Order: sequence, then C-alpha cells, then structure tokens
Amino acid sequence: MSALRHSFRCLREFRPASGPQWPSATTALAYRTRTSSPSTSRYLSTTTPRPAILGDDIHADKDIAIVPASRDTPGKNEHSSSGGNGAIQIAYARAVPHSPSYFSRQPIFNDSFVVIQDLARKYGRLPILPKDKVALTAWKTKEQYRLAAGEHVKGRDYATCMTLAKRLNQIHPDLKPDEVKEGLAPFMRDINYHKNRPKIVPVDRFGRSHGVGRRKSSVARAWVVEGNGEVLVNGKPLSEAFGRIHDRESAVWALKSTDRLDKYNVWGLVEGGGTTGQAEAMALAVAKALCTHEPALKNPLRRAGCITRDPRRVERKKHGHVKARKMPTWVKR
Amino acid sequence: MTMASPNCWRCLARPSQRLLVPTSIAGPSTTAAFTTSAARFAGERKEAGGNPLSRHIRSGKKLILGKKRHKGDKSSGKSVGEGERKAFRKRITLSNNNALDVPGLDEITAENMTDQAAVGQVMGIPEEVIDQLRIVEAFKPTQQWGLFRRPHMLIRRETVDFVKAMTETVARKGTFRSVVTGPRGSGKSMLGLQALCAGFLNKYVVINIPEAQDIVNAHTEYATIPNTNMFSQPVYLIKLMQDMYATNKEVLSKQQVGLDHMHLPISVPRGWSLAQLASATKEPEFAWPVFQALWKELLLPGRPPIMFSLDGLSHIMRPSDYRSPSFELIHSHDLSLIRLFVDALGGKTHFANGASIVGIMTKGNSLKIKSLEKALEQAAAAQAGLKIPPRDPFYSKYDEKVFESLKGVGIFEVNGVSKAEARALMEYWAASGILRMRIDEKNVSERWTLAGNGVLGEMERASLFPLRL
Repeated sequence: MSALRHSFRCLREFRPASGPQWPSATTALAYRTRTSSPSTSRYLSTTTPRPAILGDDIHADKDIAIVPASRDTPGKNEHSSSGGNGAIQIAYARAVPHSPSYFSRQPIFNDSFVVIQDLARKYGRLPILPKDKVALTAWKTKEQYRLAAGEHVKGRDYATCMTLAKRLNQIHPDLKPDEVKEGLAPFMRDINYHKNRPKIVPVDRFGRSHGVGRRKSSVARAWVVEGNGEVLVNGKPLSEAFGRIHDRESAVWALKSTDRLDKYNVWGLVEGGGTTGQAEAMALAVAKALCTHEPALKNPLRRAGCITRDPRRVERKKHGHVKARKMPTWVKR
Repeated sequence: MTMASPNCWRCLARPSQRLLVPTSIAGPSTTAAFTTSAARFAGERKEAGGNPLSRHIRSGKKLILGKKRHKGDKSSGKSVGEGERKAFRKRITLSNNNALDVPGLDEITAENMTDQAAVGQVMGIPEEVIDQLRIVEAFKPTQQWGLFRRPHMLIRRETVDFVKAMTETVARKGTFRSVVTGPRGSGKSMLGLQALCAGFLNKYVVINIPEAQDIVNAHTEYATIPNTNMFSQPVYLIKLMQDMYATNKEVLSKQQVGLDHMHLPISVPRGWSLAQLASATKEPEFAWPVFQALWKELLLPGRPPIMFSLDGLSHIMRPSDYRSPSFELIHSHDLSLIRLFVDALGGKTHFANGASIVGIMTKGNSLKIKSLEKALEQAAAAQAGLKIPPRDPFYSKYDEKVFESLKGVGIFEVNGVSKAEARALMEYWAASGILRMRIDEKNVSERWTLAGNGVLGEMERASLFPLRL
C-alpha cells in the first residue's frame, strides 16, 4: 500500500478533530427510530467520492451525527432531500466511525500518513534547507511508532511516510506552517535527545575533577588530580583495596591505556558489589574524571572501553529453575 | 579489561617459537630443553610421531572428561614421607644457577649500610653473613631468593635510617628499642634481616627468634621453672643457644666467663669462654639455667652489644596456647624466653654495653589485638610528640602486660619504596634475566602504582610471580 486510495483521502474531511468514534447513546437511539426510513443513503461507501463541502457542518456540531432539518446547506439538502418535513434529520442510517480508516488495520497510522501526504503536496514548493543545516530531530523508529500507536505498521509504509515527513521537516523554519509542525508531531519522539547537553563538571579550584562510574551493582566516585601516580581507593592503597592484580589494572585502566599513570593521582570511593565490579566501576569513574582534564582523550578512552557503561547485571532467577537458567537435576521418579 | 593470555604463562616455549620449530628436529631427544623432564613426560604420553613441543605443558591436574578414567596411572612414585611436604614448602633456596649473574654490584659493609649515598642501590650480602643469617633463619620461605644467582638486597631509605639510628644508639651504649610496623608485604621482615645483617657486621651478639608463632602455639616442649610461675621451653632454648654459638662464635669466644655460677647444674670454670658456655649443654633440663647464665654474662659491662630480634610481634602479645598444670592458658609473657625479650623491649632490662631490641610486626599472619594496637598508637604519638590517645573506656579487656612491654619503644613505619628505589630494584631483576621488559619510567611507574604506591611485596607479585614455578 504505497498510497491510500483516493476515496480515503476524500473521506478524511469527515473526521472530527477529536472525539469518540461513535455517536453518543442518545443520538444512537434516535438513529434507531429512523432505521425504517427508506430514504437513508450509504455514506460509508469507499467507492463513491463525496463532496468535500459536507465536512464543515459535521465539524460544527462535533460528535452529533444528527442533523436538524432546518439546515439549508446545499450539500445537506442534497442528501436529506426526502425527509424535509421531519423535526430531526439524521444524516446516517447507522453508526459511522469518525475516522474513515476505522475499518483498516492501522487507522491511526493511516490518518497520520494521509495528513503527511496532503501536507507534502500542499507545501512541496516552500523553500527547504539542505539536509545538513536542518536541526537534528529525534524521529520515532518503526518499532517505537508501533509501540506508541499500538498498530502493526508495515516497514515499507513507514519508510515511505518518513521520507515525506523528513522532506517536510526540511522546510525553512521561518516559513514552516504550524500545520506542518502538528502533522509531523506523531512521528517525533516526545523528547529530542539531540538537545541533551552533558553537564560539564569543571576542574575545581584545587585541580580536582570528579567522575562517577558504575558496573554491576558497584558505584565508584573518583577524584583525579595531577600528580605522580598515587592511587587511594577507600583510603587504602591499590594493593590493599584490590587483591587481584587484574583488578588493580582494571581500576587504573583509564590512566594506563592512555599512558597517564604517572601524571595523575586518584582518590576514589567505591561501594557495592564485588571486587571485579568495584574495580571496573573505578575504571569508568577515573575515565570520566580524566576526560575533564583532557577532553581529547575521550576517543582513546572509548576505544579502551572506559566510557561505555556495561549494562549487564545479574540475571534474575526464574521459577522452575535452580538459578537463572540452571534446571533441577533430572530424577527418574 | 586486559585480556588473559591465551597461552600458558608457565610454558617456557613461546607460542611463536613452537610454531616455528620444524618437525624434523623437534623430537624430544634432539632438543636441549630448559628442563628435559617435562618434555619427556609429554613425549611418553603422546602417540608416536607427535611433536611434544606443540602442546602446552601445564602444571596441575588435567581434566579428564567422559567415563574413561585411567586408574592405572597411580603406579608411578612412592608416597610422600612424613614432613616432606612441609620441608619442601619451607625450604630456603638462596641461589639459582639459571639466573644471570649481575656483575658490578657492591657488597654490604657496616659502613655503607649507614651511608645515605647507598640509598637506592642493590647490594650483595657477604658470604659469611649469608651463613649466619641462614642459621638464625632470617631468610623466609616467602621471600624470592631462589630466583636469583646470589642474595642481593635493596638498600632503601628506611634501611639506612634504621641501621643508622641503631648503630648510633648502640655506639653510645644506649638501648635501641624499636618496633617495625607497616602494611603487608612492605618489607618489614626484610628490614629485620638488614638489621640482623648490620648486627653481624658490627660484631654484636645476635639473638634472633625468627618466628614468634613457633614458640607460643604449643608446638615445642615446655616445662615449669621451679620457684617461679614461669615456664621455659628447653628444646627451643637449646636450639637457640646452638644458633648463637654457630653465628656468634667469633665474638663469644673472645669473652671469658666473669661470674661464678654456683647454682648451675654444670660446672662453669672461670677460664671458659662464653662460646663454650653457649655450647655447654644439650640437656633440656639445664637449658634455661644455662641460657640465663649466658644472658647474665652478656649483661656484664665490657661485653659486646646485644642484638635481640623477634619476628611476628603480635603473636607474643596474647595468651599462648600452652596450659599451666591447672589447665589455664599461659600468657605468652610468662614463657621465660619471651619474658626476657619483652623486658628488654619494654626497657626493664639495663644493658650496660648497648643493645638493639627489635620487634617486627607481621601483617600477613596476624591477629587483631586491641591492646597491641592501642599501645603502638600511644607509642607512635609519644614519639611524634603528640597528645597520647587515651584507651577506650568501654573496653575492659586491655592487657596491662602488653602496655608494659611496649612502654617507650620507638615505632618505625615501613611503607612503599620511592620510584627511584623501585627502578633500581627492577633493573636488578632485569639484569638477572627474570624480568623481561624495558625498564623505563613508564613501566616503573606502572608497577609502582599497581603495587599500591611501591609496596615491595606487591611489586614482586606483579612482576615475578608468573615466573615462580
């Protein structure tokens, strides 16, 4: 489905801005009394195009599908010509969903897509910015959109829609109509993470920089100051804090991998978890604090594995298992 | 962060070498391996025609999966005899012919041990002192002497300070009473060894108790001393006197017996030398009286200075594992030899000729004794001229004997070495051929940091342990 059928696009005009899909109970009852009327006509035909003028009236009286006969809109007259003498004129013979996409599999997406397509046609000639000048936008991925809309949107459709949406987003911000902004909103994430700015922790007046690192369930705080390679962890020298030499290397890996081991002193506080977790939490904390002193080291540190937090935690135990995955011993009887 | 090496650390062949060995000459018979036994063993087990160098030879158990266990493998070798394993574990190896000789290093003398210019130098121990130190068991099995061609020591700043203070005090006939403390692996026992070395070089009468735990854990015989509430350890005393005789023979044989020991069970004529007195008895019954007589002789004016050293001070600061006849635990200070030491350390004994009494703390094998900790804290504060920290008023089990025995001692703290000293030591390791890395500032500094700011034991661990076979 590369594009919706023409009839759907025509039906769009009937959709109220907001409101329930079905008429309220009172109107439904009224509608039932009128079912015997022979003059009802089918409006939910997907084949017959409808005149677009109708839409304004439907919008005017919101979710009420019952139209008083006194109205003399030309379009209305055309449809309710047979029941001109009744007190209440009913536009539809049966309950009609507000969204013409209601019976499709993806009504929310379809509606948004239609909006995007119309906007693209309408504003296709507005001046656009080159792609690299456009402010970074956090688009919803297909999966995120599926989750938000609760519909199984097809990848191809979503990609087509996003192509149009991104083209619309390129419109010069001074000229971008509000309509376009509203239309693009369903495809954007609530928070534009591109606007996130890391909090810069400066080197303080004593020459210290502070960093926090985490690994497993350990949390480490490290203060790094220019010096000659002395390290204290929880007030103890490295050899007392970590018994294994491997752990000691891990704790100062940020300094060691960048050849800065004899140029800084580290004062660290670690808590939680075991020795390995504490050592590797220290590595991250020291790396962050070191980045404050020398921001250019961030990439080498990333390559050394000192920037990215390892998200792995202890896997939870499951019922029916002895541990997270271990199964009980097989017993014959 | 660092990946473990995929190759066997202890395998002498490098992986690249093993790949390069052509199969034609790689047979175990033609290759002169470092040690042939392992290669031959590997060759025997392998099927014929295989290259024994192509596989790693790992020590320890081999995991055998599956049901087929080779039960017939036990046939080789006889069972290990009683005490053999302990003897193997506790053996002291002071030389290694596979290590490279390091030429051009000075030997330790009485003078350069007190010379500030010697700080940061690695020096050899003279041969005769090695023998004496070996007899008094100053070398510990945990120290890595067996990796080097012959024993050398790093003269660090603490060594010079300690030995200088000791010799100066003894030279003006004072009593140098000191407790050596410091973190684990920082070189406390090594400093004790260096002090003993200085004692031997300065011709002191050296008495050393190498491991205090051995005399309080009820592993050696004990006996009541009549008319006192103390206990002697005769077998240990005889061994101690034999050690004294063997190590201090030169000094003791110049000294004549000066008192008439009427109460002694053996007759000690005036013409005897002290060396003869030290070797006078092998009878356990006479051990304590003879030792006491020797001690009294040594305290007489005009005798050489005494050096009395004990390693593992915390073990003697609590009740021992011995039981009195009424089956109560005997306090360590009621053992006569220990009483002798703590009286000397606490300043109760008057030494007319100067003495050096050194107690060395242990951290690897130590107990938490609140009295000892508080006593050391107070002694350190008194030494620094600070306000003396009071005892915890809510702790009722303070041991008064401990406070008595540590009254007024000097506290000597040993910590990590400086980077210059670390570099000297690493250069010595590299010259001995056991540390195969460039010794530059970066590497030295790295080891120094990993070793907890230069703790020597940890530096050894980080650098040499992969080699300890």
